[in-house]
Amino acid sequence: MRQTWTRWLAIFVSAAVLASCGPGRPPASALRGRLLLDPWEKPDFSLTDTDGKNFDFQAETEGFVTFLFFGYTYCPDICPVHMANLGAVLKRLDPQIAGKVKVVFVTTDPERDTPDRIRDWLNSFDSSFIGLLGSLDSVNVIQQRVGLPPAVIIEANERDASYTVGHAASVVAYTTDDKAHVMYPFGTRQQDWAHDIPLLVRGQWSIVDSR
Amino acid sequence: MSFWCSANGEPWTWSWQAYPGVWLFIGLLAMGYIETTRRVSDSETSRRRPFFFAGLVILWLASDWPIGPLGAGYLASVHMLKYLLYTFAVPPLLLHGLPREVIRRAIDRPFVFGVIKIFARPLVAFAVFNVVMLGTHLPVVVDGFNPSQIGSFTIDMAWLFAGLVFWWQVLAPLPELDPLSYPGRIVFLIVNVFIPTVPAGFLTFADYPIYALYELAPPVGTLSSRVDQQIAGMIMKIGGGFIIFLTASILFFRWHADEETDRREDGKTGSVTV
Repeated sequence: MRQTWTRWLAIFVSAAVLASCGPGRPPASALRGRLLLDPWEKPDFSLTDTDGKNFDFQAETEGFVTFLFFGYTYCPDICPVHMANLGAVLKRLDPQIAGKVKVVFVTTDPERDTPDRIRDWLNSFDSSFIGLLGSLDSVNVIQQRVGLPPAVIIEANERDASYTVGHAASVVAYTTDDKAHVMYPFGTRQQDWAHDIPLLVRGQWSIVDSR
Repeated sequence: MSFWCSANGEPWTWSWQAYPGVWLFIGLLAMGYIETTRRVSDSETSRRRPFFFAGLVILWLASDWPIGPLGAGYLASVHMLKYLLYTFAVPPLLLHGLPREVIRRAIDRPFVFGVIKIFARPLVAFAVFNVVMLGTHLPVVVDGFNPSQIGSFTIDMAWLFAGLVFWWQVLAPLPELDPLSYPGRIVFLIVNVFIPTVPAGFLTFADYPIYALYELAPPVGTLSSRVDQQIAGMIMKIGGGFIIFLTASILFFRWHADEETDRREDGKTGSVTV
């Protein structure tokens, strides 16, 4: 009887050890975002920022970890949650880490999102966030070049002509090698950002790529 | 239309929503009260009735739109306000509003009496209240239960049950069940101040939001999820603590008044004897 118990205990411990070392479990330092096994190139595009100046995406973000997100200020759920979570985490991170991060928001609703509105909206999360505008056609071309689906305007309410915009819900993270190794879908939490941003800034995305 | 408030992930609007399950629940409690007290219509019932219906009104306000859905799926602070109402406001009013004869009739069966005897023990009440309080504030429970109506209803009912068990000790409605003395009840209350400090501390001092549900919920107003969580922690600690210390103070003065009355009566008896 005693031997049977010992045997079962040994099997259980072995299984637990194997499970913790197996290929299904990422290494401790693995990123929590969604991995892009074939990294995306950083797109080359220019749009207008909220000050009315030309913003060359590749040149202005060179040497920074850059989070690129396409959304709109009237968005009731995904956009404010992503921006609020990123803003909250960047405020709490070591300034040396946070200072090497840029957040770029591109509106998919140029009809309603004026430069002032975008600026005010972004300032409510973090005044360092960059807001960009362009025609919906040009923004959609950029999204497709990035690897995201184009935005679609959904007519929702005929009475007051209000509408929503269907858009990609993921934030694309470009690292200092000008590639995106990881993207962050809706549902990414502040503790996930806080875990991943220092790794991305330190260039430790390669731990993930080598898996 | 939903039966009970739950987290549905839809953007919040201030348009009124109907929750017929809440009305049904409150209606059944009201009808049950009217029916059972009809047969014991005396001065005690008319004195206690306002307390019971005040408890029902608070229960309805805490469960229905807007507090119900805001607490179930949007704001941790409103979730905590709802918890406080369910455990610290509604149960004492419902218990105090029940005529003693109604309670005696309700437990006048061996099985029910046996169950009540178990839950009327201070240590059992302490354990039930604190296990429910801690368990229903675990992130896995809040994030897992609130998105479904049945899950959200289960949490609400667990709070109500734990509150009734807790306040039974304090209000001691039936002398035949050997209730705690006044000092015993005061100690029971004070002891229950400490354990909520643990979840309240986590909520108040955590670097990042604990509950995915409220962190990822469509925003309501300009409150950040972390500030919302800090408010929730303070409501739990300060709100709960205030009610407990207020009740302990009331019990202390009642104890003092009872002692004074006993002393005066002893004095009167003594003078007659001498």
